[in-house]
Amino acid sequence: MRVPFYQLAGIEAHYHDKIALMVDELALRGGQLNVVAGLNGSGKSTLLNVLAFLMQPTQGVVKFSGKRVRWDRAQLRELRQSVTLVHQDPFLFRGSVASNVSYGAKARGISGYALQERVRESLELVGLSGFEARNANGLSGGEARRVVLARALACDPEVILLDEPLAYVDELSTRIIESLLVALVHRGVLVVVSSHDPTLGLRLNARTIRLRQGRLIQDSEPQEMYAAKSPENSVYAIL
Amino acid sequence: MGSFTQSVGTAFSLIFSADREVYAAVWTSVSTAAWSTVIASLFGLPIGMAIGLSDFPLKRLAVILLNSLMAMPTVVLGLLIFGLLSRQGVLGGLGLLFTPKAIIVGQSLLAIPIIANYALSAVRAADARILPTALTLGASTVQSFNQLTNEIRFGIMAAVIAGFGRVISEVGVAMMLGGNIRWYTRTMTTAIALETSKGEFAFGLALGIVLMLISFSINVGLSSMQEEHQP
Repeated sequence: MRVPFYQLAGIEAHYHDKIALMVDELALRGGQLNVVAGLNGSGKSTLLNVLAFLMQPTQGVVKFSGKRVRWDRAQLRELRQSVTLVHQDPFLFRGSVASNVSYGAKARGISGYALQERVRESLELVGLSGFEARNANGLSGGEARRVVLARALACDPEVILLDEPLAYVDELSTRIIESLLVALVHRGVLVVVSSHDPTLGLRLNARTIRLRQGRLIQDSEPQEMYAAKSPENSVYAIL
Repeated sequence: MGSFTQSVGTAFSLIFSADREVYAAVWTSVSTAAWSTVIASLFGLPIGMAIGLSDFPLKRLAVILLNSLMAMPTVVLGLLIFGLLSRQGVLGGLGLLFTPKAIIVGQSLLAIPIIANYALSAVRAADARILPTALTLGASTVQSFNQLTNEIRFGIMAAVIAGFGRVISEVGVAMMLGGNIRWYTRTMTTAIALETSKGEFAFGLALGIVLMLISFSINVGLSSMQEEHQP
């Protein structure tokens, strides 16, 4: 069996002396769709920030592709090029849609025709073909989310982390994003999605990692979620 | 009123007849102000951005100090540098006093806190998501910083222009360190002060009009650029 992308052990992260995340053990593999569920303040964003190498845990060990993360600048740059995090409240840089979508790919040294092709393909995947020249700040909320997703896809990452990608998104964008996530998993990408929606894991047939007050309280494969039929075991009751 | 109108007429005729003395003072002002702004930007922009982006124990004090330095009277600054550059001063051996270089030194020190403060404000007003977004897309620290600078470029330009506006319109430093020497260190502002005190109101007015035109043109240019790039 392949080495998991992530292996977390004894992780603790604090915000202003308060425990924001406490995970004893967690492994995440390529070609897997994971939904991190929980209420506001449950630690979902903190977990994604740790996975994106943006936040160093106060305690514990994070391994990526079997190698221990040292959290030094040189290693972080390399690791961040394997992972892309799409924030809950995504930000588009000034300029055109194309300049936004190409940003991460350019940072990875891709240029010229290859870059143009990546931009075109990524926009096509999110249903925004022909949007290259549009001003990024003139897009609707749903379009902006899809551009942000296209920007992440153009990086061709091994891991894609999405913080609440379906919040405030219209039905069409939701359908496009959900089917895209499933397609990415089939390409071997590790996808981790945080969501308030307790049914998302079931809908996407995903492994569900549930957090409460920073602690991991449930880690279930899709079939286990389906088995929880009684009201007290339902996803809503767990939340 | 008649004499004022007559002075305005004379002032315009001095400007349009390309009076050598008027343009010598304009050239000295613009060149010293431009050099001072470049030097002050090289120091002021990194200082302001570094204070804005980092957290350190004396940050509040540093911000208060920058704000206080903005209100530094130009004559006092001129006096302090005069003390350093005069023959008995620590830097007296450099022979800079009463040269355009001395004006540039003084005006650079005058503009650094102004440019740093504007840069600090631009960084504070910037969207907090710019740096994390760039980093999560795999950009290096330098690339992320460049992206931030690009996003706040109008704030940066405003900082540079505010610095230029301050130094081109100041009198104290140019007078104390330049000595108002005709054809050499006489700037628009020192010439206005001198000529008006001599009763040459029209000459002073001509320089005043040029000074205003320069300031207005820069501000109009900045405003139109900002409007063009509005999302």
